[in-house]
Amino acid sequence: MDRFFLTHPTLYAFASWLEATRVGSAIAEGRYAFPIIEGIHLIGLAIAVGLLMLVDLRLMGVFLTQVPPRQLHRQLLPYVLAGFGVVVLAGVVLLSSEATTVFASPPWPFKMAFIILGAANALYFEFVSSRRPDSLPAIGKLPSGVRGAGAASFGLWVLVIICGRLIPYITSWS
Amino acid sequence: MSLSHVLYAVQKSHFAHSLAESNHMLVAVLQIIHVFGFIFLLAPLILIVLRVFGLILRDQPVQDVLRQPRALSLTGLSVTLASGLLMFLTAPLHYYNNWAFDTKMLLLLASLLVYGALFLGVAPRQSAHPTLARVTVGVAVVLWLGVCMAARAIGFVA
Repeated sequence: MDRFFLTHPTLYAFASWLEATRVGSAIAEGRYAFPIIEGIHLIGLAIAVGLLMLVDLRLMGVFLTQVPPRQLHRQLLPYVLAGFGVVVLAGVVLLSSEATTVFASPPWPFKMAFIILGAANALYFEFVSSRRPDSLPAIGKLPSGVRGAGAASFGLWVLVIICGRLIPYITSWS
Repeated sequence: MSLSHVLYAVQKSHFAHSLAESNHMLVAVLQIIHVFGFIFLLAPLILIVLRVFGLILRDQPVQDVLRQPRALSLTGLSVTLASGLLMFLTAPLHYYNNWAFDTKMLLLLASLLVYGALFLGVAPRQSAHPTLARVTVGVAVVLWLGVCMAARAIGFVA
């Protein structure tokens, strides 16, 4: 048992329970289940985060500037959400197969924190910022708050991916 | 000289040896760069698929929508290939006799051919041959997804 769990026994019990579930143990024992689901996780990430980053770049005023930002945002949203559905589902399934390793890895809580911040930023933009009058003019420079929201979203998802890839390389706090 | 001899020579080269002997976090950094390259290769391609199939931005001319995603996707491709090559050089013999790596290389070759055909031949004539454009861009995406899946399997094949 990793030393991290000596101070987090409840988390260890939860991680052990996850690994003992039928899904968790089947993936851990199957030869190709893990890489197949990991591949699906990465493809979902490329679609969801990739398309979201394209919208962020548009909000920042550096990509597809001839396309009205509201149009790009609205029309890509279903594909972004579908991609995120795949990413979350595959991510949870992967986590269940190696929860004790992942929970003990230092980059993991940072990844989760950046996901929460990214989601909060997206929800604030969706339900507050983008609904203000003149927040998303079809052409021309966007308000600084909108450009800032795009940059924040882009940066947060970059951090999510960096932390996610570091999980297998930084396995312990000590 | 067999392939294994070539790979052995590459592994023993000064550059490859320096890479392999460097901090293990170098491979992590290369992996991160590789993933970002793949995201910026694939996401613009998905955007092009959605536009060519008429699912988004229907009031925008296809050629206008193509221009910047094509440039971004090509940048993503360059980053992916460069970081992938450097990762390969850290342990070329590791990939010898690995069917997932062989599959990835075959799919990568096919992807590059279709990708080249898409942007050099098909896309500029999209309005004259819309069905060909849809098939080509669809095949390009499917092949890249295949490359991704084969790549993930490499570390799990003995």
